Amino acid sequence: MKFRAVMIDAGPMREFSNVVTIISKLSKECVLRLSDDLIYFIVSEENSGPSPPILWCEIPQAMICSEYQLIGLDEEHKDIYLALNSGNLARSLVTLKTAKSLKMKLTKKQCPCLTLEIESPCTVSQQTRQVTHDIPVTVVPRKLWSDFHEPRVPDPDISIELPPLKQLRTTIDRMKTMASEVVIRASAEGRLTLQIKTDMAKVSTRFKGLRVEAFGGPIEHSDSETETQINEDMSRVCYCRVDAKKLSMFLSAEQISTNSTVCSIVHKKLVILCLQTDENIKLQCFISGIVY
Amino acid sequence: MDEGTSQYYFTASMDSGKTLCSLLKAIQFQETAVFCALPEGLKLTVEEGKCVQASAYVPSDNFTEYHVRDDVDVMFKISIAVLAECLNIFGSGEESSLKMYYRGEGSPLLLVLQPQSVNNVMTDCEIATQTADSVLELRDEDAEEVAKLVLKAPAFLGLLADLERSCEVFELNLSPEHPNVSIVTYGMQDRSCIDMPKSSDMVQSFSCESPVTLRYQLQHIRTIMKALAISTKVVLRCSSNGLMLLQLKLEKEDQRQMFSEFYIVPLLDD
Repeated sequence: MKFRAVMIDAGPMREFSNVVTIISKLSKECVLRLSDDLIYFIVSEENSGPSPPILWCEIPQAMICSEYQLIGLDEEHKDIYLALNSGNLARSLVTLKTAKSLKMKLTKKQCPCLTLEIESPCTVSQQTRQVTHDIPVTVVPRKLWSDFHEPRVPDPDISIELPPLKQLRTTIDRMKTMASEVVIRASAEGRLTLQIKTDMAKVSTRFKGLRVEAFGGPIEHSDSETETQINEDMSRVCYCRVDAKKLSMFLSAEQISTNSTVCSIVHKKLVILCLQTDENIKLQCFISGIVY
Repeated sequence: MDEGTSQYYFTASMDSGKTLCSLLKAIQFQETAVFCALPEGLKLTVEEGKCVQASAYVPSDNFTEYHVRDDVDVMFKISIAVLAECLNIFGSGEESSLKMYYRGEGSPLLLVLQPQSVNNVMTDCEIATQTADSVLELRDEDAEEVAKLVLKAPAFLGLLADLERSCEVFELNLSPEHPNVSIVTYGMQDRSCIDMPKSSDMVQSFSCESPVTLRYQLQHIRTIMKALAISTKVVLRCSSNGLMLLQLKLEKEDQRQMFSEFYIVPLLDD
């Protein structure tokens, strides 16, 4: 097994570091999967054994790496799966935002390590300094690979463009101080509503004029559970109740400069947030719905 | 009075709810407040035990529209924490316009907020209300005023912040003689004293006819600190029964004023 990659462009290095920071906020552990074209970060729900991932990130290696070399176990198993502590990786990459280059390679020290060599410019002279981080990793054995397959999700009922993440997050953060669950509701007319309900208050923030990318409707509602809204065709509305804290955590991805953020909803079951950057880094978060 | 608003007990709107929100946060030392809409303006009152009573006043000229039905009392209890969070729903960096509606007894207080910088988003809130208990009447018309001080709020805040937190007793000695104002705190093992002559920079005006010593619980005095932090000027009045009244003028960019007011009950002599 062999892995070696080099990054030299400032933009992609910054994005790479941002992505890793977000992952480290979501979970202590993550799996780094290296394949011929894509670098994957996969986060599964903590303490729950093998379960579908809650975060799935794909980075096209050609977009961010100037050199990329990968040799897997054999012809049939070309990929390498590494389990590592996401905090370790994020902390090592802090200096990446000002670095000149990053070299990553898989090394064998006392244990298998992902070795990062970061070359930083010196502010006073032409010389550079080089910092090396060895991050211990566990090579995931072949028989466990299936735990880290891309989650197969039912076709979303709606996919709608999201308002600016920062704005969304501020609102969710206010809401989560009042309630633990928030209902996301999207309509085929391009409206997105965040709603909380407690004994004390009912708060709804409505966004309108959002682009609807896909709508699979009509949605079937059983009458007992939906409030009828005046002038609104309920068959064109779907919703999902999710944990407010989780949603807020995922929205911390606001620091990534995205060129498209889309929210897909599987009615009452699942919310998928999908962010895509200019470098074609794709970040997908899966937040399962809360059903009573 | 047009048909649209007359069915409501109370309606109001303002261009930015930001100042209102910071005023509310300044008196938010208890979960619930009594919300009272008077013809002259809005008043929210919070009480701690029967010892501290804080009110936020928003005179009606702060609102672009303000309407209270004159044949009913508009008074109810509301969660001040929830109200403040709702006003701040778009974050503190965002100025958002605010509309308030209250249909009548037992109905929720409705808020509609819209940020000024983006126009495709709005928030509406329904905040549950409860019947209000009566608010304590701490002011005693018979007790005369024995001292009145006008102080600069930031300097007074600095003074209070310097006091040892663990102390329980805050003693205020006022006298026409030097040093005019002397603040003594008593803790478990210590006693500290701050003298403040009326010539001090932070004292803008001082009036006191005869020496008086008043004692309060320091923790009660500390409840005004958040309000001091957003105010420019504080008027401190003591009456002969020991009741302290602090009136704080909020720092604002425009000419219209908002106030907060604290009544603090003295400690009884043993």
